[in-house]
Amino acid sequence: MILGDLLGTPVHDDDGVRLGRVADARFVVDGAPHRLMADARLLGLVVSPHSWSSFMGYERNSLTQPWPLPQLLRWRHRGSFFVMWEDIAVLGDRSVRLRPGYTAYSPALDRKGQE
Amino acid sequence: MKTPRPLGPGPLAPVPPVAGQTLDAQLHLLDRQVLDSDGVPVTTVDDLELGAPEGEPETPMGTVIPPGTPAPVLTALLTGPVLGTRIFGGRPPSSRLIRVPWTDVADVGVVVRLGVSGQGLDADWVERWIRDKIIARIPGGRRDPR
Repeated sequence: MILGDLLGTPVHDDDGVRLGRVADARFVVDGAPHRLMADARLLGLVVSPHSWSSFMGYERNSLTQPWPLPQLLRWRHRGSFFVMWEDIAVLGDRSVRLRPGYTAYSPALDRKGQE
Repeated sequence: MKTPRPLGPGPLAPVPPVAGQTLDAQLHLLDRQVLDSDGVPVTTVDDLELGAPEGEPETPMGTVIPPGTPAPVLTALLTGPVLGTRIFGGRPPSSRLIRVPWTDVADVGVVVRLGVSGQGLDADWVERWIRDKIIARIPGGRRDPR
């Protein structure tokens, strides 16, 4: 699977209601160890209802400068949420469907760019 | 069409903590420069390839993922002729993309560092070809400027 095929794909819930588009994919480096780095497994997807483009991650951190860039970008990504891999029912290049009763998490990262 | 908000009226809960380094593809990987073990630029990350973890069956795209299926893992960083598709849309055929295996990646920070030399990688064959066939034939082109 090529990640570029997934970014921007519409996301629907189990009833077919459109929730947004795939804005990003989050990986965590905690898989099977190798000589240099461990496997990076897909933790989940960031879904954005208004815009799937991302610019330097302002919408996922708490930075407020330079005004008004973070404020504008955060507004553009209002309503974004993160879904875990376990809540994804179908991963297609035309649509992503979530499982019934999925949990929407905050997509925020901390100042170091980590959760 | 108005897009509904996801479940829950209040602020969303944070993602359950995980042990390893977190990488958001667009923020931390895509378009990052790739350096080899000697610090020489090799390429940039144009796309990423995902696959099932070792020993697990691949789930075809568009099919229902059975509960409990292990999450896919990054198998390779992809690079290739993407300028045209960046402008006009789409992506190059998979066969045109050059793969840098994830197992060769040593560190992900401001740049992506590889643990191997770039000389053996397909990703910079264009630069090597230009160096050997064109630059080397220019008088003085074989001399190291340092």
